[in-house]
Amino acid sequence: MIAAGAGVREDAARIKAERVGKWFGEVIAVNNCSIAIGSGVVGLLGANGAGKSTLFKMLAGLIEPSHGRVRVFGRELRRDVAWYRRVGFCPESDALPEWMTGREFLTLALRLMGFDRKESASRTDRWLERFELVDAQNRKLGGYSKGMRQKLKLAQALAHDPDVIFLDEPLNGMDPVSRKQSIDLVRDLGAEGRTVLVSSHILPEVESMTSEIVLIDRGRVLAEGAVTEIRDKIPEHPTTVALVSSDARRLAGFLIGRDHVKAVELEDERRVVVRTEHAVAFYRALPGWVLENDLPVDEILTLDDSLEAVFQYLTEG
Amino acid sequence: MTDATITTADREPRALPTLTALLSIAVYSVREMARRRRLISLGLLCSLPVIAVLVVRIFFPEEGITPHQQLAALSHDVIIPLLIPIVAMAVGASAIGEQVEEGTIVYLWTRPIRRRAIYLGRLLAAQTVAAVLLSLALAACFLIMISNGLQVVTFDFLKLYLTTFLLIALGAFTYTSLFAAFGTWFRKPVLPGIIFAFGWENLITNIPARVQEFSLRFHLQNLVERPPVSDTADLPGLLGALLTAAFKRDPVPALQSVAVLVVVGVVAALVGIWMLRNKELEK
Repeated sequence: MIAAGAGVREDAARIKAERVGKWFGEVIAVNNCSIAIGSGVVGLLGANGAGKSTLFKMLAGLIEPSHGRVRVFGRELRRDVAWYRRVGFCPESDALPEWMTGREFLTLALRLMGFDRKESASRTDRWLERFELVDAQNRKLGGYSKGMRQKLKLAQALAHDPDVIFLDEPLNGMDPVSRKQSIDLVRDLGAEGRTVLVSSHILPEVESMTSEIVLIDRGRVLAEGAVTEIRDKIPEHPTTVALVSSDARRLAGFLIGRDHVKAVELEDERRVVVRTEHAVAFYRALPGWVLENDLPVDEILTLDDSLEAVFQYLTEG
Repeated sequence: MTDATITTADREPRALPTLTALLSIAVYSVREMARRRRLISLGLLCSLPVIAVLVVRIFFPEEGITPHQQLAALSHDVIIPLLIPIVAMAVGASAIGEQVEEGTIVYLWTRPIRRRAIYLGRLLAAQTVAAVLLSLALAACFLIMISNGLQVVTFDFLKLYLTTFLLIALGAFTYTSLFAAFGTWFRKPVLPGIIFAFGWENLITNIPARVQEFSLRFHLQNLVERPPVSDTADLPGLLGALLTAAFKRDPVPALQSVAVLVVVGVVAALVGIWMLRNKELEK
């Protein structure tokens, strides 16, 4: 199923899965999933056990689908390993070669990407500095904290300048400052035109990086696209928008019966709550109404189109 | 998800050449394997023949046990049937399987490296570590043996000594290759490894007639000088004659034994590569 607002032309998709499924014995981990992902940051969301991790590993070429096809740059990574030069992968697992130092690990990762000694050393310097690991570079990985390990895992996934990046729970164990830096980094990578697929079960984490998501539940892709667009396609839960106004009564009166407005409630003298089944269209129409009718609107608050609400609505059924 | 046009033709990547990748992985893996704690236990195990030679040298200098006899006995009865399988199992079974189990293999699998290069790099490292460990023990034995003077270094002794080195290399190659395949196939390879090394190999080697040729130990022992053994003279005539005839080991041509050991090692490596190609990330 290619769900809500995938928004990627077939030829523009860097990551493409066609009706992929994976069985482990009699357990179906992923069932008939189709997704197409172009450039930008995309969050792969799902609760623990939803099949997110299996799908993620299939996309990265680390698990063979039981059926269907997965392509990255139009290639099957498991068979065409050369394309890993353009792919970065940050695993969720905390396993690292404990006996190596941070510097050795990163340098080896780059050498195995095909960089010569000099280039590997220079990139290692740059990324150790970027992740503030210079002081710990000669320490054995066994002595690294969880946050430091996470940063190093990210560094090895990014140091070779990949175009497609898979990040599995990338912010696990990071302190708030590193978390903020990593979020900014991921957003920058997306803005540069790279494809970043971030798998996470922490919704605010994904929300801070992107509004584009693929939502997976019980092995199936439930929705794909921008959160607002997906939100719009849940008719049984109209979006709730609060409008703060100096003349809430007049505003409420105007909104009753308008297109895309399902219900209007005057919450108090300064606040009108509107329920709409088409939030995108409502947001598009609202500025026109305000300007043409000189309506007093001081603030617009969307109460339940957060990723968390969308996730809850889509998975509760 | 914007509609960016993807151009791939301008940056058609290439996989790392197999030999380059293999050697890089082998160098890193030797360093990794050399740091493992189990290497200390293996070092202690490998010191057994050294201790035996030392005991003979200190406590039984007048018994007339020549260094040549000692070396023949050690090669035939200790190094080949005991040390080579144990060291190869400890190093080989974990060479690939352990990385898959731990999840660190992901850092190799997500590089532009063919899985055969990964497998062969790890295998080469394991074979090197096993061979070096065993060779060090042999070198230590040699030093003790010649500590009384260089007059013991005869041509035959040197020939046997060098043959034993070659046997260690060949044995480490074959057994490590086999156990590496075990480690790739089985989640817990130690039990099948023990069953093979001390069940199958013992059983087959002690079955009369040519069935013995189905063991690796037979072929390794076939390549080394047999130490003098006390025959069955103490037994009653007919029983002694029967046993001698039944367990008599007819040597096969040396080339045949070398070929069998090399072929087994190569086939095990190919099977291991095939298994690794179909492995999936578990963690």
